Amino acid sequence: MLSFCRYLLYLYPSAHRFEYGEEMVAVLCERQAESWNSGVVARSSFWAREIAGLLHGALQEHARVITGLHPWVAFPLRRFSMRSEFRFPKATGWLMLVILAAVVMVYEKAKAIQASLPNTHPYVGPIQPAQFTLISTFAVVFVAGCVIGAVGWAVLFALRRSGAQRFSELRPSGDRSSGNK
Amino acid sequence: MEALPLSEPVLLILLSLAERPRHGYSILKNVEEMSGGRVRLSTGTLYGAIGRLLDGRWIERFKEDDSSRGRQAYRLTSQGRLILRQEVSRLKQLTRVASLCMAPKET
Repeated sequence: MLSFCRYLLYLYPSAHRFEYGEEMVAVLCERQAESWNSGVVARSSFWAREIAGLLHGALQEHARVITGLHPWVAFPLRRFSMRSEFRFPKATGWLMLVILAAVVMVYEKAKAIQASLPNTHPYVGPIQPAQFTLISTFAVVFVAGCVIGAVGWAVLFALRRSGAQRFSELRPSGDRSSGNK
Repeated sequence: MEALPLSEPVLLILLSLAERPRHGYSILKNVEEMSGGRVRLSTGTLYGAIGRLLDGRWIERFKEDDSSRGRQAYRLTSQGRLILRQEVSRLKQLTRVASLCMAPKET
């Protein structure tokens, strides 16, 4: 296994290997000598850890050489915390499929209509300011958003689940412990 | 160089070198002892960290009298010691706050 680990050192950039290769081999030799006294399972675990460490280290060093960044910037290994209650709903996947199917159907239908129409190019006049409806569309969307938000808040308020209500129901842990006494 | 807070392996390596200069194998053994066998660094991980710490001038090579080939010792620099002190005081403050928060309150 030590020979294999020596080969793994060739995966490192040459500068790193030149600087630390000999030291790393010396440390591996000492650790190998130490692991002789341990059992098969401990020895296997030791070599697995060493091989994984060498592979990971080689990857990081190459990343550092390529990007010029420290490995923790190039490959941030800290686990990001994901809220445990968060799940990507499966229904969303089905919804996206339905939307995709609808888009494809509409596209095909439009092509069929286009093919059925005579090949004419009616004159299209310039767009007049009176026909410009972007601002009014924004206004309608804004009002609709406000109405939907208000309805949603009213539902939450009726269920006593609005933010202010939930916050007012919170009790500090000290109060809880004093309440138990 | 990495800002505070330090990762646990880096903190343990710096603590190990705070006591006295050590070479690679000695650092590995000391880290394992300090963590009660919980943190076992691989050689690749150790030398990745040593490279970064040398780049950041937190540690430096130390020439031992009886150093043989392949047994390079390292020691903390003054900058490394300063950062270690800052990290330890940060941890102390954190544990003090945690103790206050978790202590049963008098009614």
